[in-house]
Amino acid sequence: MSNTTRPPFVPSHMAPIPGSSRKHILAIDDELPILELLQEYLKAQGYRVSTAANAHEAKRVVEAEAPDLIISDLQLEDTDGLQLIEQLRIMLPKTPVILLTGVLFDPHVVEDNLKWKISSYISKTAPLQSLVDEIRRHIGR
Amino acid sequence: MSTEPTPPPVATDPTLRRVLLCFGLILAVLVLVVAVSLNNLSRTVATSDWVNHTHALITELDTLQPTLTAAEGELSRYLLTADQRDHTDYQNKFAELGEHTDVAIALCAGTPAEQQQFQQIALLLAKRAEVASQIVQLKKAGEAAALQRLLGQDAESHDHRELAQLIEKFRATQTDLLSARDRTLYLQAQTTRWTVLTGLALDFLLLCGAAWLIRDALAARTLANRLLQQSNAVLEEKVTQRTAELSATNAQLAAQSLEDRWSKQALEHQNRYNLLIIDSISDAVFVVTKLMNISRLNPAAVHLAGFEPVELIDKPLARLLSTDGAKDPAKPTFDPLARTLSEGHELRDRAGFLATKGGQSLPVRLSIYPLRDRDKVVGGVVILKLSAPATP
Repeated sequence: MSNTTRPPFVPSHMAPIPGSSRKHILAIDDELPILELLQEYLKAQGYRVSTAANAHEAKRVVEAEAPDLIISDLQLEDTDGLQLIEQLRIMLPKTPVILLTGVLFDPHVVEDNLKWKISSYISKTAPLQSLVDEIRRHIGR
Repeated sequence: MSTEPTPPPVATDPTLRRVLLCFGLILAVLVLVVAVSLNNLSRTVATSDWVNHTHALITELDTLQPTLTAAEGELSRYLLTADQRDHTDYQNKFAELGEHTDVAIALCAGTPAEQQQFQQIALLLAKRAEVASQIVQLKKAGEAAALQRLLGQDAESHDHRELAQLIEKFRATQTDLLSARDRTLYLQAQTTRWTVLTGLALDFLLLCGAAWLIRDALAARTLANRLLQQSNAVLEEKVTQRTAELSATNAQLAAQSLEDRWSKQALEHQNRYNLLIIDSISDAVFVVTKLMNISRLNPAAVHLAGFEPVELIDKPLARLLSTDGAKDPAKPTFDPLARTLSEGHELRDRAGFLATKGGQSLPVRLSIYPLRDRDKVVGGVVILKLSAPATP
């Protein structure tokens, strides 16, 4: 789907600081520019952000330090986003998950079919502030 | 060529100028006092030397008459005893008188008036010495009559009285001068005293003035410093406030910048995704304008028609596609399809022919779907499938 060069691993500067009091968010997307933007914006909002470009990296981050919230794209390099979300929710059943995707869903479809898998759905065409509002609604500042 | 900036001229502090002026005046007064005092001291020393000189002269004057009387007494004794020892005493006394006279002459040497005045005394003393010498010679010669006559003449002379008057007059003159010099010395001492006291008083007043100026300047500077600190505090508060505002604005701008980048990214992603959908369809898809000119085609359409996209973009679809298999592709024979969009309805699974770049006319099944934007037809999508080869 994308010609964007994917990061081979999570850069060390993107790794969270263990023990920090700031809320920890895991962002999963196969497009590096998206991950960089998310990390920059959410850090400015006071969150610690870990990034993962695929399912393998996402699981590794979750095992290292459980996030307070997960943001995931729908289409990933090595798996389907919804499938990964199901696997992560088995590991972290109480952690809220926001589906952030460019694939446009009908809100009714989301409400009827995806509400058991995800906590919120945000289109990538929506402003970042709406994503932050949704994050705050789930985990606060 | 580089021009270095010239430093701004240093503003001279008026208080500093005044203080420096005060200290300059103090220094000038001190120099004046010292100069006047040194001058008075020199004059006092000179006067003191003269006083000593006058005292010495008076002392010499006071010794002249007693020495003369003693010498003449020794002469009288010699005349009576004719003893050589008395003769020697007489000579010694006159020698002593001569020494005193020489000393007095030396003391008068610097002053012509005194020198002239003492000359008369010296002549009288010389005359007395000459008379004594004649008496001794007559005595030694044994000329009693001549001796008697000379002594008689001498007794009648007024040399002693004249000498006493001259010495007294000379002494009175010197005493008057001594009194005048004493007054001068007193006046000089008074002048020096007043000069020093006046100088000290002036310096004290100037020092007080300088101290007042310094105190005044320090008070003004303390006040200015306090005002400056207050201004700095106000300024710092404003800077802090402004910095906070700028930081907030900067944060807003940064957030806005991220939002813009996010929107652009999302738009690119969405566009790419939409194109991906069209390009992924294995049927030939042509996106056309409302006038049926080709605006986009997918790889399957390129492959089917054999034309490069650049050869077809903005060209009428009717040149490729017809419903009746017309041999002249340049002839506009596809009006039914154009009417489909202008009338805004769909056309599904209709038979047609596609003219390829290689000159073939391929039988296809075509469908046309209008693109509606808020109930207004802005273009259409044409999908072609190759017809199954005709069954013989």
